[in-house]
Amino acid sequence: MKDLILRNRYTLLVVTLIVYMGVLVTEGMITGRKARVIEFENPYFDFNSTDFEGFRERRNVNENIRAEFDDTGDV
Amino acid sequence: MSNIVEAKSLRKNYGSFTALDGVDLTIPKGAISGLIGPNGAGKTTTLKALIGLCDVDGELSVVGRDPRISRHKLMEDVCFIADVGILPKWLKVSHVIDYVEAVHPRFDRKKAEKFLSTTDIPANKRIKDLSKGMVTQLHLALVMAIEVQLLVLDEPTLGLDIIYRKEFYDRLLNDFYDGNRTIIISTHQVEEIETLLSHLVFINKGKIVLDSSMSDLSDIYTEVLVDADKLEQADALQPIYVRKLLGKNSYTFESVPREQLKMLGELHTPSVADLFVAKLKEEKHG
Amino acid sequence: MDKFAVLQFYALLKREVLEHRNIFIGAPVVVALLLLVATIWVAMQIDQSQLAEGLLFVSVLFDGLSPFDMAPFIMLLAIPFYLTLYVCSVIYLINTLYQDRKEMSVLFWQSMPVSNLQTVLSKIVAIVLVAPIFYVLIIFAMYLIAMVWLTILGISNDVDLVGIGYLFLAAIASLVLIYISAVVTGLWLLPSVGWLLLFSAFAKKTPLLWAAGVLILVGFLEDFIFGTQFLANWVASQTSDPNQYLIFEFQSVFERVFNYDTLFGIVVGSILIAGAVFMRRFTD
Repeated sequence: MKDLILRNRYTLLVVTLIVYMGVLVTEGMITGRKARVIEFENPYFDFNSTDFEGFRERRNVNENIRAEFDDTGDV
Repeated sequence: MSNIVEAKSLRKNYGSFTALDGVDLTIPKGAISGLIGPNGAGKTTTLKALIGLCDVDGELSVVGRDPRISRHKLMEDVCFIADVGILPKWLKVSHVIDYVEAVHPRFDRKKAEKFLSTTDIPANKRIKDLSKGMVTQLHLALVMAIEVQLLVLDEPTLGLDIIYRKEFYDRLLNDFYDGNRTIIISTHQVEEIETLLSHLVFINKGKIVLDSSMSDLSDIYTEVLVDADKLEQADALQPIYVRKLLGKNSYTFESVPREQLKMLGELHTPSVADLFVAKLKEEKHG
Repeated sequence: MDKFAVLQFYALLKREVLEHRNIFIGAPVVVALLLLVATIWVAMQIDQSQLAEGLLFVSVLFDGLSPFDMAPFIMLLAIPFYLTLYVCSVIYLINTLYQDRKEMSVLFWQSMPVSNLQTVLSKIVAIVLVAPIFYVLIIFAMYLIAMVWLTILGISNDVDLVGIGYLFLAAIASLVLIYISAVVTGLWLLPSVGWLLLFSAFAKKTPLLWAAGVLILVGFLEDFIFGTQFLANWVASQTSDPNQYLIFEFQSVFERVFNYDTLFGIVVGSILIAGAVFMRRFTD
């Protein structure tokens, strides 16, 4: 068994990855792990990866306001 | 423990290439053993296997340990110098000494510094700025300051000029070798180390073709400059190698008593280089 | 503990710092110099009276806050260093075992009585525990220079400097938080550390390409065989969750280290690290 695993770098890599994936998948199935939501808790930059459309809309609104502000010619 | 190295049927394949094809090797304690073979014969693979730098199949014991299992323990008793400069090029000379001092329990800093003071190696230079000869000198200085039982040298003087080469072997013999330590040297420049060796091992195509002490060599192998009228008689004794030499016929015999050969012509003990060629040719012809 | 073993491990760490001077010292020094030059350049563009006002504003801003309250704000100044350390760590981890083999020095390292486990552990300790020390010291030096400069500026513009003294204390408190953040992040990222080391020990050429390529391949295989995406999810949370990176309060350190995800990460990371340790035996 040991001879087989350590025969060469490729067998070792495959065995390591199988063990790693085995643990990862088993744990995931038991705990029902989900992808962590990428969320900035920051009042100035409201970004939520599950609500990307909403983020873009809000940004467009902001841009429009800025454009209007620029149009007034206020320097 | 009378044998420092005991290896039985070592095998190693790199893909479809067979580097070691059943190597049997025993090296007694205190020997200076030359491992001699052409390029690609398996010299480096054998040496690397001895110090656990390369996995092989077969039985292997070096200084009483299996190098495949406890390499780092084994390296307390064994040192290694390779043909290519293996000292890290970005390190300064003084840093290498610091490192070995901290890492090796048997390193004597004073000894190393004393040795280095006899060379032109500056302590604050990086290794990449040293000449190849200096790097080898530095490595030798480190190794000589370590109290080890076995020193493994893989073509240590390859690419060095004659002055460095000569000095290297002089130092090795005078400052390192004390009769108890064992040295294994691989090379294909046979002539240079012939006089130093106590044991001789020929390797070709992953097989050991000769393994003998130098003193036994003259008992087993005889070179005869056969007189012109006795060629047929000589052929009948099955020489392992025949060549023409300055108009004379030189025959090399294996395990034929000298008594029997005396009448054929002038007897010699073959030089290691001639013997090497003889053994290799013999292999080729079967 | 065995004194020789400690000295031996210290030598291994020293070796890492000497070999990767650019990653441990060079990179943060460059970032610090750039920040200093940029700040001073900006300050020179601003009108002197405005500058004095700005200084006053800074010293008033933190009025009534303890240095530890202010520290999180100052930590934000360290974000460029944090990103540098992150990028440098990836470069370091993917190259460190590979380079030994490429330049053949692996034969020298292996000819010393040091086990593969010690070698690989020294590399992890060097980047997770030791590198942040250098970064913090360099940030400290940068703050020191900045404080001297601010003080000179303050005196020459007749500004009350009491607040700035507090600011300095806060800066030092923030250094502690930066160090802890970096180490805790290192632990949290242990699976990534293991992955990079495994391929650094494995690849004969282009280790980063192997690391990325096999990651994608294994991700697809998982989806194909099990119909799940745990690897992809795991990688996503490892690489792009900023909540995992900075720690603003000492109180949350315990919770960060002893939470399920970090501990599970240490377990699965150890599998990959063990793979790297065994992989190190293949020296060609």
